Amino acid sequence: MPRIQRAVPILVLWILCAVPAFCIERFPPPQFETDYTLKEPTTPMPRGEWLQILDVVVLVAALSLASWLVLKKRSRKAIVGLMLFCLVYFGFWRRGCICPIGAIGNISLGIFNADYGIPWVVVAFFFLPLVFTLFFGRTFCAAVCPLGAVQDIVLLKPLTVPHWLEATLRLVAWLYLSLAVLFAATASAFIICRYDPFVSFFRFSANPAMWVISISMLVIAVFVGRPYCRFLCPYGLILRQIGRISLFRVTITPDECIHCRLCEDACPFGAIDKPTVQWPQKEYAKGKRRLLLLVLCLPIFIAGGTLLGYKLHPRLAQVHPDVELARRVRLEQAGVYKERTDASDAFYASGQSQEQLYEKAAAKQKQFAVGASIAGGWMGLVAGMSLIQYSIFWKRHEYQAQRSGCVACGRCYNACPRHYIWLKKKKTG
Amino acid sequence: MKERMGKFRSGLLIAFVLILAVAAGVIAFLLSDTSGTHVALGPEYTYDIKQYAEIDPALILYRQVGETIETDFENTHAIAVDAEGRIYVAGDERIAVYSADGNVIKQIELGAEPTCLAIDGNGGMIVGLSDTIEMLDAPGVETARWKAPMPNALLTSIATDKNNIFAADAVNKVIWRFDRKGNVIGKVGEKDEKRNIPGIVIPSPYFDITMAPDGLLRVVNPGRHLIEAYTVQGDREWFWGKASVGIEGFSGCCNPINFALLPDGGFVTCEKGLVRVKVYDADGHFVGVVAGPDQLGWVEPLRVCETPEQCSSKGFDVAADSDGRIYILDMVRKNVRIFEKE
Repeated sequence: MPRIQRAVPILVLWILCAVPAFCIERFPPPQFETDYTLKEPTTPMPRGEWLQILDVVVLVAALSLASWLVLKKRSRKAIVGLMLFCLVYFGFWRRGCICPIGAIGNISLGIFNADYGIPWVVVAFFFLPLVFTLFFGRTFCAAVCPLGAVQDIVLLKPLTVPHWLEATLRLVAWLYLSLAVLFAATASAFIICRYDPFVSFFRFSANPAMWVISISMLVIAVFVGRPYCRFLCPYGLILRQIGRISLFRVTITPDECIHCRLCEDACPFGAIDKPTVQWPQKEYAKGKRRLLLLVLCLPIFIAGGTLLGYKLHPRLAQVHPDVELARRVRLEQAGVYKERTDASDAFYASGQSQEQLYEKAAAKQKQFAVGASIAGGWMGLVAGMSLIQYSIFWKRHEYQAQRSGCVACGRCYNACPRHYIWLKKKKTG
Repeated sequence: MKERMGKFRSGLLIAFVLILAVAAGVIAFLLSDTSGTHVALGPEYTYDIKQYAEIDPALILYRQVGETIETDFENTHAIAVDAEGRIYVAGDERIAVYSADGNVIKQIELGAEPTCLAIDGNGGMIVGLSDTIEMLDAPGVETARWKAPMPNALLTSIATDKNNIFAADAVNKVIWRFDRKGNVIGKVGEKDEKRNIPGIVIPSPYFDITMAPDGLLRVVNPGRHLIEAYTVQGDREWFWGKASVGIEGFSGCCNPINFALLPDGGFVTCEKGLVRVKVYDADGHFVGVVAGPDQLGWVEPLRVCETPEQCSSKGFDVAADSDGRIYILDMVRKNVRIFEKE
């Protein structure tokens, strides 16, 4: 069966799992007429229905245009133009919300919690880039994602990240994705949104810690190409995997590779694979043994990860407000804490018994025990598979943009002499 | 050599900047606390209504007369006053009738917990028992009984005239119009854009109605902070009210919760959360205050309820007699206070 046909049923299942919800305002908020000044909310206000439709239309249009620019037009300038538009529209005007990256939280919560209705616009924002990636590669990352755009435009002096470091740091993104799904599925927190490093710029608002994180990320992005996309972005990880089976993909050369090596250093994201040379027989035998050992060790990695996840679950569970409140109340009752927090004050005022709270917290901890074990096992599998991947000899005869790692920014086009010949041919007809 | 040194220095500088940025980011992440566990919210987020609870003494036009009547109820739900000034309190599956000085005149047993009460023109009583209406004669004997048309109904108020009985259903956000035999002959207050009726908004189960001598039904629309007037056929004639913590408006999410009509056509309203019983004229203009937290004994604690659950079951009901005296039932402390104009 072709790869796309295999992917379609999975995609349909995902969509069915996440049934969208349509929300309406229940009753008008009271109008207070005092000298009290209402605080400016730190998150964007809900948008009108037609604006949400407009957002989805713009997203589809931007994804279509990006795909055309990347695969047909092959113009870095046009890609940058679209990127700037999307930065203004999806970033500054829409204040970074909803974005497909943060939508991972909503979708996870919707799948694991039947009471949560996912807004249809969130479903659209989550799935549309996935569908486009399935056909055209990571064109969302190329020009539509405002987070990618911010990093792309500040990249002034790109450094090469060693291959081993790149692979290791990517595990951080897997860990981030696992935790994001775990916390969202247990209705604890949407950590992707909470720690979005660029939303501070889009909203001109954040707490001091988030400002430090945002500015730090921006400073790193001056020297390291798209650090958030490569080493943290959980949505980027999903797109990477879909990108591996995409129908079309970015090619450095429009027709044939002449092995001129001019594109070798053109990619600041380390996403160009060089042609491979045959491993020496000795190295090959060594690699084979290592591969066998790693395959045999894979269950150990998974078991170790599962055990580690299980061991860490009490700490992870504290992210859930009920578990943290139960811990706080218990310690306040024991006299360890002399002062109350707003949450414990609200709990005592609610009239709810401590036993009820402890029961709720215990039930949530059970969920975390299962969830954290699965997340740990998954991380063990990912780490093991990463090692296995680097123990396999992959044959390549020409310079290629990686199917998974290439963000389709179009920088490599201009490094390819065949691209200029192609352009000239196009002009002359 | 010089060029190499320059490259080395710039490399060193970049590495330093990168290490610094990574370290700052990691430290900020570890120190960040978005859960509010370690630090309390600032004073600007404190929900403090003390300043709004203070009422200008010049605005208080009424004073309490007599002692506070302490009832023996565990739960009270409604108060009514008849033409002779007898006080009817409903709760605990019964109705207790008190004289103005607080003596119990009689007790009428009911089969279920009453949720609302009205005095009929013939001296009888009409009681709402969640989803059932029961008509009683003056001695308290049942003369008729019927169920509301919807099984999930919660009747929170009853009003009557010569031919009709109106029952406010807080769950279905509608006022059922019955004839005296219990047949449904109409609905009032239901959302109807063609008739320019916006519909009733009820965030918590308080939905009060009263029939006025002019033949129009007065209805509280608590979520919209309005008192509306409807014809018996259900046409919306006029309305008044505005949301404000200021003394002339209705505070919170949904107020007033109950009201009564004065002999001059004016209104007595009571609010939950921030306890205020106020008087408005027949056109809805603010006249003055009957009682605030101070007069009703709610200075400490200031709020009658803290949680949504408490606020759904605890509040005040109000009634007025033909002399303009105002009777306030405190459903939390189960007592009745009588106020008279100074």
